Amino acid sequence: MSQLKPKVLMIGWEYPPHNSGGLGVACQGITQALAEQNAEIYFTLPYQLKQSLGHMKVINCYDKSWGNENSSLPPFGAYSQSVHQSNDKNLDSHQLRALPQSDIEQKVEEYAQLVEEKVADHENEFDLIHAHDWMSFPAATKLKKKTNKPFIAHVHSTEKDRIPNGYGSNYIEKTEKEGMEIADQIVAVSYYTKRLLIDYYQIDPAKIQVIHNGVFPTKYHKNKSDSFAAKRPIVTFMGRLTNQKGVKYFIKVGRKVLRKIPKALFIVAGSGHLYHELLLQTANQQLTAHVLFSGFVRGVQKDKLLDRSDVFIMPSLSEPFGLVALEAAQRQTPVILSKTSGVSEIMTSAVKVDFWDEDKMAVEVIKFLQDKGYSQQVVARQSQELSQATWSKSAQKLKKIYSQAFF
Amino acid sequence: MPQICLYFQLHQPYRLDEFNVFDLGKKQAYFSRANKQNQAGNIQVFQKVAQKSYLPMLRLLNEVADEFDQFVFALSASGIFLEQAEKLEPEIIELIKRLLDKGSLELLSETYYHSLSFLKSEREFIDQIRFHSQKIEKIFNVKPAVFRNTELIHSNDLVELLLDSKLEFKGILTEAVDRYLDGQKRTQLFRTPEKNHQTVPLLLKHAQLSDDIAFRFSNPSWQWHPLTVDRYLDWVEIYPENEIVNLFMDFETFGEHQWEDTGIFDFFHHFVKQFLTKDWNKFVMPSQIFDEVATSSEEEKKTATKLEKLPVYDVPDYISWADIDRDLTAWVGNQLQADALRKLFDLEEKVLASKDQQIIEDWRKLQTSDHFYYMCTKWSADGDVHAYFSPYDSPLEAYRRYSIVLADLEERLL
Repeated sequence: MSQLKPKVLMIGWEYPPHNSGGLGVACQGITQALAEQNAEIYFTLPYQLKQSLGHMKVINCYDKSWGNENSSLPPFGAYSQSVHQSNDKNLDSHQLRALPQSDIEQKVEEYAQLVEEKVADHENEFDLIHAHDWMSFPAATKLKKKTNKPFIAHVHSTEKDRIPNGYGSNYIEKTEKEGMEIADQIVAVSYYTKRLLIDYYQIDPAKIQVIHNGVFPTKYHKNKSDSFAAKRPIVTFMGRLTNQKGVKYFIKVGRKVLRKIPKALFIVAGSGHLYHELLLQTANQQLTAHVLFSGFVRGVQKDKLLDRSDVFIMPSLSEPFGLVALEAAQRQTPVILSKTSGVSEIMTSAVKVDFWDEDKMAVEVIKFLQDKGYSQQVVARQSQELSQATWSKSAQKLKKIYSQAFF
Repeated sequence: MPQICLYFQLHQPYRLDEFNVFDLGKKQAYFSRANKQNQAGNIQVFQKVAQKSYLPMLRLLNEVADEFDQFVFALSASGIFLEQAEKLEPEIIELIKRLLDKGSLELLSETYYHSLSFLKSEREFIDQIRFHSQKIEKIFNVKPAVFRNTELIHSNDLVELLLDSKLEFKGILTEAVDRYLDGQKRTQLFRTPEKNHQTVPLLLKHAQLSDDIAFRFSNPSWQWHPLTVDRYLDWVEIYPENEIVNLFMDFETFGEHQWEDTGIFDFFHHFVKQFLTKDWNKFVMPSQIFDEVATSSEEEKKTATKLEKLPVYDVPDYISWADIDRDLTAWVGNQLQADALRKLFDLEEKVLASKDQQIIEDWRKLQTSDHFYYMCTKWSADGDVHAYFSPYDSPLEAYRRYSIVLADLEERLL
């Protein structure tokens, strides 16, 4: 393989605009930057991507039986948690727990099969396999065994992050671990994730390299006067409404801040299984009309919300990276991050807190809202750091790893 | 043969438009009544229900009143219903006027905004009753004399509020709830517990016979489906002539909840006709009944007046005509509802101090009970009824949107 012109088969799961979160965005950033650096990429998806992409060839690997009439959407959100019981009674409880339990787990196995079939025609057109997260590991494993080509496992998020209490799916954790063990190289999106892969998944540290995500440069014109809720400070959370994201702490911070700054608004942007509970938490704490739920936002609305925000908080319990924090910084919003996040490794100027430390977060929010000078300083420093966080840098490092995969 | 007292409720809320955080502070209307995306606008809803129910039933009531002098009944129409009728379907107003002219109809008193104000603000509650009376007088040139609260919600304290306000009512309509009836017959006239030597007579809804028409009429799995007039009158006529069967229901029972093809209009027509074929049967209006106990002979005054002789309906907690619980849980049964209502009335002082008529009116429209009904999360069969009436996919959406609108109202006060 020529290091200058790698030929890569990437196994993906989602791609914008049909992404449920950061994974799709990261795949877009990585592939675009790699293509600019002369990589040839095949990219598999478990659904039909409506638009064609100039920078790579998409191979659609879906099954009509999955139910989506036009199959233009991922079969399931990348991190859905619907669980159903297996009917197989002949296994002991340990074996049972490691079986595919949810629909997404079942689809992942079928996806592996489909990828193997669809890629068969192109086997001479790539030199290595680059797979994104556990959903793609079974497919990558099959292909590696069949073609003997190097397999690079890219870890954007683990089950241990998503379900921090450790009661996540055994099957998913098993798939993650086996995939990483078979992989020739592992890319972790942060040192935080590398640590977790070593400590929790017992992966050989020598195999793991860290490549931070980048962020797309953006044209930015902040014009708050034209925006919504112009008379009030806005503090924003953006992410899936799950325990992992620490959104409950965000609401608790809201309660504390509102005692000092009664006209502040706390906006929760996202959807997820905690939605009902969060509404009740809001009402129980008498925060109606102060903690507001915008639903899932993307595109223009997402930018608009981040533009308008006076403070952005990402209180994740465990965040492998946290792209949205970079996006908030890009929209000139000061960011408060939990220490347990990968992005904090490159955003040294953002305020870092323990995810549970609602008092500290409240103090910091109030400081940002009351001290414009301080807020501007932090925003300026964040912008400097951002200029270093490019996808093209990530792609350069990736190419290096690609070439190492052959030794 | 009992007397029958009919009362139908006319009400249509201003439902909230789509409203997201991005609309905050943008002077976006809350109830713009335009058809937006997948949600029928308020205009469309009103016009649709007018065609299905208000107009055909009011025409039928006029026909029946023309046909039978003895036919009388009562209507209560919320202020916001009347506003919408005047603007969108003025024939509704004309049909009501004709019934009044014939002497067939009594109009009742309620809060203008069909609100839950009594829970939070005595001043607002009384104001809204006054606004409503003024509206009725202005349009129909009559003064309502009998009170019925939003959704027949009632309690001893609520009566006290009314008495303290010096609003004078001949009587009040409410629900007969078994836990407070204490085995007494619901078909008699009651009175409220005495407070400062004052007591008010009450008429109680006969839930069984009312709901046979309002809810069960078209239910094919009901054992008496299809309900015949003969059978229904058999049930009514077991009561003796000195008792009153109070059939209270939503006006929309006729044509909307029970569609025309269920035969509901014919049923009603024949029911009146057949009931009145017997000379001794009669329909009564609430005021007629209340007037009878209002005056006592000198002899009676020495011992106990007619009013004082009535049995007491003692209601220490709120009751209503909703759901199987017959309490407030349909509107303030969960934390979402309770906190939304709290926040709404936390704004009261600022809203009124603003002297901004648009803000004040929006705030009042947000008090309408329906907004809270949509947030109800009770799951039983009641949940189905709530879902039928709700414009939202879920109670959570009702709360989410309401909360954002309240934030906007607050922003306008900054």
